[in-house]
Amino acid sequence: MTADTTLIIGGGPAGLEAARLIGDLGQKAILVEKRDALGGIPIAEHYAALTHGFRSAEEAMNELIAAARANPTVDIRLSTEVVECSGAAGDFRVKLAKAGNGAGETLSVGSIIVATGFQHFDPGRETQMYGYYEYDDVITLADAEKMLKENKFVTPSKGTPPERVCFIQCVGSRDRQIGNEYCSKVCCGISSKQAIEVRQQVPGAKVFIFYIDMRMYGYWENEIYWPAQEKYHVQYVKGIITEIIRKGDRLLVRGEDTTMGRPMEVPMDVVVLAVGMEPSKGTKDVAKILGLQQNKYNFIEVPHGLDPTATSAPGIFVAGAAAGPKDLDDTMSMAGAAAMKAAALVAKKARAVA
Amino acid sequence: MGLFADKYPDVPYEEKSRLWEQVKADPRFPTYLYGCYECGICVAACPSARFYDFSPRKIAQAAAREDIELIFEQMNDDVWNCSQCFSCNRCPRQNSPGGIITVLREVSVKNGLKSAKQALEGYSRIIYKIMGTGTQVSPDMLQPDAFPDWGPQVRAVSADLDVWRRALPPETLHTTSTGWQVDDKTIIELYLIWHHTGVMDMIAEVDEGLHMILNDVMEEKLEEAGYEA
Repeated sequence: MTADTTLIIGGGPAGLEAARLIGDLGQKAILVEKRDALGGIPIAEHYAALTHGFRSAEEAMNELIAAARANPTVDIRLSTEVVECSGAAGDFRVKLAKAGNGAGETLSVGSIIVATGFQHFDPGRETQMYGYYEYDDVITLADAEKMLKENKFVTPSKGTPPERVCFIQCVGSRDRQIGNEYCSKVCCGISSKQAIEVRQQVPGAKVFIFYIDMRMYGYWENEIYWPAQEKYHVQYVKGIITEIIRKGDRLLVRGEDTTMGRPMEVPMDVVVLAVGMEPSKGTKDVAKILGLQQNKYNFIEVPHGLDPTATSAPGIFVAGAAAGPKDLDDTMSMAGAAAMKAAALVAKKARAVA
Repeated sequence: MGLFADKYPDVPYEEKSRLWEQVKADPRFPTYLYGCYECGICVAACPSARFYDFSPRKIAQAAAREDIELIFEQMNDDVWNCSQCFSCNRCPRQNSPGGIITVLREVSVKNGLKSAKQALEGYSRIIYKIMGTGTQVSPDMLQPDAFPDWGPQVRAVSADLDVWRRALPPETLHTTSTGWQVDDKTIIELYLIWHHTGVMDMIAEVDEGLHMILNDVMEEKLEEAGYEA
């Protein structure tokens, strides 16, 4: 490998898309992925359907994987991490290591794209009393995805279809006490999408969404929010649950219905916590190794307003949720922009040498 | 069960549910309710909301959520505070809270709910007048004692009501017991409408006495015109 190559860190949707595009431009890319499989969080966490368009997440990811793999100039390394980096834009030296194996390989690359993504907020850190680790029937969006993917949405403690299901929004987001003051952007859409899927799979279930604001921007409004309410009769209640307690073999959620101005105490079979996004361990590690500025929440800082893919280090670009909460559409667009910038840098360097 | 404590726990859930099913079965209902943002535009536009503890938003919300206990509570406590002006129709989701209320009222009247009887009690004289004569307020209803705020001249006017009325140019206004002259053909058509659209049945549910009187009045005219009441 020489400086005519772009290093892409992370084999999720952003990394795969960036690799495909650099390959399509006829340039060399090397994609390293820490896990032993590609597809990122949608595959690792068994996502059911994508929020935009309700397409199978697995099918969509497999398409991205196939496109990246089909490119002869894209070199994919699984179970591989970046452990060291030096140099500057156009001429970086990076050391790769196989996971669990000290043996390293050092190579020269011209540009770097960080696509190390996010992880779901761990509800063990929430400051309400939801009891995720105490009650079997309190689950997260990711847990729900897995059940929905298997077309088997049940009350976990009983194994039977639930009669009443609720979603609690903004768990681990928009919370000064937790430190995550930002909105995770996608959870409103995902909860609404899951609420529709629950109603499709368990037509007898009543489904509630307890929210602070529903942030269904753009076409999510009429494509997801309205059908959830109007066609699937999902009940949106403005008011966040403060506490979940056990009552008999069911759960009781307590909160205020703010628009009705009344307190509520409602039995539920399944409570889904709409956990937000945090930087993945990979994002935090890679930021340190590459010497990138991170923001207050440890996402990669993007200091240049008009270039949302540029990091604090020239020649190192970022794509997707490594730079902060993002939906898949924005992630894919950002991957395209990052690929363009990385490839342009390499091409410019080649011209300068020639 | 709904989200809140039930205000009418003595009324069985099945009964509340039966009434709600009647509301939903109304052919107008699907175009009156889509989904509610809870934005409050309807409340801001609502004249009744300025004067009463009344919120068209809450009506739409309860209906959207199918909160059967709350809907029953509203049918009893709230729907009669609406003036049916439909200012609420400016809803961004194209809901019509006023329309939902129309249906809720009709169902509560058809089922003889106590609140409907109470709400309509004060109107029996007006209902009698409209349904019996086809006109609303008639000159002879304007008794000075009933309208002290109209001042002392009302007494003078009402003393010679017949003369005053005959002074009006249109001959059809030379009446005192009806707002204007209503010809027999119109009256018969009206009576047939009251019967065929179920209005008489609704009256029977909320005011048996009024129903009896109206029936007597109508029966005679209908029989004269060759209809069997």
